[in-house]
Amino acid sequence: MELADDYLRGMTMTAFRLLLLSLLLAATSVSAQDREPTYAIGVDGLACPFCAYGIEKQLHKLDGVDSVETDIRLGLIIVQMRHGRTLERTQVEEAIEKAGFSLRSFETAEKKAAP
Amino acid sequence: MKAIQALAAATLTFCLGNSDLSNAAPITFNTALPVAEGEFIFRQQIRWLRSGEDPSDGDRQMHVTAAISVLGYGINSKLAIFGVLPYLDKRLQADGSGSKIRRNNRGLGDATAFARYIFHQDNAQGRSFRLAGFGGFTAATGDDDDRDRFGLLPPPLQNGSGAWDRFGGLVATYQTLDYQFDGQLSYRRNGSANGFAMGNETRLDLSWQHRIWPRQLSGGVPGFLYAVIELNGLYQEKNRVNHRRDQKSGGSTLWISPGLQYVTRRWVLEMVVQKPILQNLHGSALENDLIFTTSFRVNF
Repeated sequence: MELADDYLRGMTMTAFRLLLLSLLLAATSVSAQDREPTYAIGVDGLACPFCAYGIEKQLHKLDGVDSVETDIRLGLIIVQMRHGRTLERTQVEEAIEKAGFSLRSFETAEKKAAP
Repeated sequence: MKAIQALAAATLTFCLGNSDLSNAAPITFNTALPVAEGEFIFRQQIRWLRSGEDPSDGDRQMHVTAAISVLGYGINSKLAIFGVLPYLDKRLQADGSGSKIRRNNRGLGDATAFARYIFHQDNAQGRSFRLAGFGGFTAATGDDDDRDRFGLLPPPLQNGSGAWDRFGGLVATYQTLDYQFDGQLSYRRNGSANGFAMGNETRLDLSWQHRIWPRQLSGGVPGFLYAVIELNGLYQEKNRVNHRRDQKSGGSTLWISPGLQYVTRRWVLEMVVQKPILQNLHGSALENDLIFTTSFRVNF
């Protein structure tokens, strides 16, 4: 009888652990979905504040772009997209060239969405 | 009359000469201005010119205030077009028979349009080199037959020359995060009106801008404060009066132009004082004393 009780207690604990794990996985999955695509774009030729506006204006014209932040010292622009939207390298290259500059690098970076 | 014609040349150079060649960039010329595709740039300049070194006995003094509006548009990343329109207020004072004679005029001057094409560009992290050609014309939009109570105003006091002029040249820019250098070489072929043609002009303009604040760059896009020094060289050929060269005209001037420039991502505030360090003018042309320019620029 004690053996059966131990078995049932063990099964209950296992089920409880499985339930916890499932909840954790679900939470992780929701968190991953909340991460919005963010890109780190390296620009060559960016050397003054007045130039930054032209690039930012061209990038803002791209469909799905939510925000654009420029670091002039590094020649780096962080573009955050709206939920579920992505950017292609060719789109970015064209926008940068329209502003009169050159694309140096294009990388995906993860940035957690604001609550 | 020859002195008046020489003064006309100097005045017209002040009103048009630098504005057709314009400015992150240089303050005294506009051709180096970067314009992105589909972007407008508007620049408003206010200039005060004083000319009072009169080699003749006329004790002439000339004061010109000009509000010069410049609008640029980027057709694509290589090609940009610009328009320049000056509004002028001119005052001339000279000795008359026993008293001072004062003559004034104001109104729109001659409009200028030009295009610039960047045919070479080399970009790297934090720096850019651009080489471009430009060409354009100045239209005879200003009045050249204004009168006052003494009769027809002399050419220096007319707001327009009555002539159509053409110009072209090359402009180079090397820009880093710490400094920027611009150089421009241009030639202007002046047209003829009312039997008078101002001498053609060759210009060499050099500009050096050095970032003095912030001393160290961190993140973001801070405003930059530049110390600016420019050199403006002008060689003017002889004027032509009724198709004959006027030997007492033309000459060369070299200006030194220190200034300050505050640059943000949307707007630029700048000022420069131009002082001649060399003036070799033929005849009895009024020598320039000083030009003060202040300017505001915005892109949209």
